[in-house]
Amino acid sequence: MSEEKTYGLIASFATPGEVMHAAENVRDKGFKHWDVITPFPVHGMNEAMGLKRSKVPVFTLLGGATGFFGGMLMIWYMNAYDYPIAVGGKPMFSPMYAFPVSYELTILLAAFGAIIGMFLLNRLPMHYHPAMKHDAVDRASNDRFYIVIESSDPKFEEKTTTALLNEIGGSEVTRIDD
Amino acid sequence: MSNGKSADTAAPAHGGVSAEIWKFRALIVGVAGLAVTLIGLFAADPVRVGLGTLIALVFWLSIGLGMWFLIMLFHLFDAGWGTVIRRPMEHATTIFPWIGIVFFVLVVYSLFADTDQGLWKWMNPDNTVVIAGETATVDDDLLYHHKSPYLNNAFFILRSLLYFGIFIGVATVLRRASFSQDRDGNGGWTTVCRKWSAAGIILAALSVTFASLDWLMTLEFHWFSTIFGVWFFSASMRAALAATVLVCLLLVYLGVFQGVFKRSHLYELGRLSLAFTVFWAYIAFSQYFLIWNANIPEVTYWYVNREHELWWWVGLALLFGHFFVPFIYLLFYKNKVQPGRMIFICVWILAFHLLDLYFNILPTKQAESGLPYYNFGVNLWDVAAFVGIGGICFWAFMQSYLGQKAIPVRDPRILESLNHHE
Repeated sequence: MSEEKTYGLIASFATPGEVMHAAENVRDKGFKHWDVITPFPVHGMNEAMGLKRSKVPVFTLLGGATGFFGGMLMIWYMNAYDYPIAVGGKPMFSPMYAFPVSYELTILLAAFGAIIGMFLLNRLPMHYHPAMKHDAVDRASNDRFYIVIESSDPKFEEKTTTALLNEIGGSEVTRIDD
Repeated sequence: MSNGKSADTAAPAHGGVSAEIWKFRALIVGVAGLAVTLIGLFAADPVRVGLGTLIALVFWLSIGLGMWFLIMLFHLFDAGWGTVIRRPMEHATTIFPWIGIVFFVLVVYSLFADTDQGLWKWMNPDNTVVIAGETATVDDDLLYHHKSPYLNNAFFILRSLLYFGIFIGVATVLRRASFSQDRDGNGGWTTVCRKWSAAGIILAALSVTFASLDWLMTLEFHWFSTIFGVWFFSASMRAALAATVLVCLLLVYLGVFQGVFKRSHLYELGRLSLAFTVFWAYIAFSQYFLIWNANIPEVTYWYVNREHELWWWVGLALLFGHFFVPFIYLLFYKNKVQPGRMIFICVWILAFHLLDLYFNILPTKQAESGLPYYNFGVNLWDVAAFVGIGGICFWAFMQSYLGQKAIPVRDPRILESLNHHE
């Protein structure tokens, strides 16, 4: 067992309030590679963990812009360049009639951008996570709250981190193997 | 519960002597502005002054109507977050009767005006209309005769009275129920509001749609657009959301909404503003696109006229200033949660909403060539009407505001609203 690398330390908390204050403590200690596991979304946890706003909107914007300009370009290419046909006395190309299609493509690709961005940033799909090894973690989807600090964090040091987790009110502090 | 405490301290005493003074000043400004406008109606070009007054009137009315819609939406969806925001909007719906009085002055003026001096040209059979590049009288106009069973003076007045009756009636019931709940704490008022909102939202949709058709679209009664009512609704919602943000932030600045109206409320209003920016653009573009695509002279002339002189630039300003700028701006999270940035874009939206009303209303009077008689421009009579009606609206708001609690303190959802979180 001792040859196995340590993934990190997990500590259990009884209430959302306790885990929130504990998270603030961990944040203030300067840890970067750590996470909070809760059975439901806890409002204010983003601030307590010091998380920045998600980068997903950037992907959404890129997707949307691709859709809009791609749509315009496609219609210009088809109707005005590759095979020009005059319809109803209208110009060969006008942003007017190209707009509805470009608009729909904007929405479609913005939605794709958002979903793909979310998957990429969350590193999904993830079929295995070391925290699942911990027996009690089942309760994280029921009635317990957990903080996991990963050993990859530069500040991680098994003894002091264990002490920290105990000090901030965590119980059953356990090592998780990778 | 620090939030609950701040609600209690904010609730009873607000305003005081200085608020009374501001109310009085608003009334003076309002009466003076309207007096100047009335002078203009007889001393200057009456059609120009009348159209300017109609623009100002519709501007302030649209804010009230949008807020009225929002109040009913909050009740219907049992919305928790918006409860604190609802109260200033309820005060704002007291403007309807005063707007109604100004409106009927314009109607009465148009009914008795000399030939070609009224606002709605179909009101007088001797008025001039332009048909296919030639001038004729309304009486000679076959199109008018086909529309006359609907579009005649008596029915127009009756409908207008009905619209104002609905605006005032439903808004008053909702406002009184909300104020009554402050006093007796009876949760039943919430149910009363919900039931009235269920009927009210349908009445509101119909009355606002038909009011915009009657009052604005028939200024140029040859032209028709089935989406016009939706355009007016979307424009009203944008104006109302922008005004709500400004009023709430003013109340925060005055200390009344300190700790009550929070970042999360501002964020929700910003998100709604973004949604209605897109909705307005969708509707305004659809109207243009369908007319452009069908290419029928009966309706295309409306836009062709608006490519004349400065109107071309006004149209482009609306496209970029009323859509692209707020759209891109409101996409960013920070712009929706920082008060200064929201104030900027809300003032911007209101300014372009006013420009949108100029674009829709002012070019309706046609010269003999069929082109717009008036170029785009703002004159002092416009300013007088805008400030005058605005002053009356502000006075009506203060009248209601000073007698009531700052937030609906006994609404069942008030705590949820105070603790609202992103």
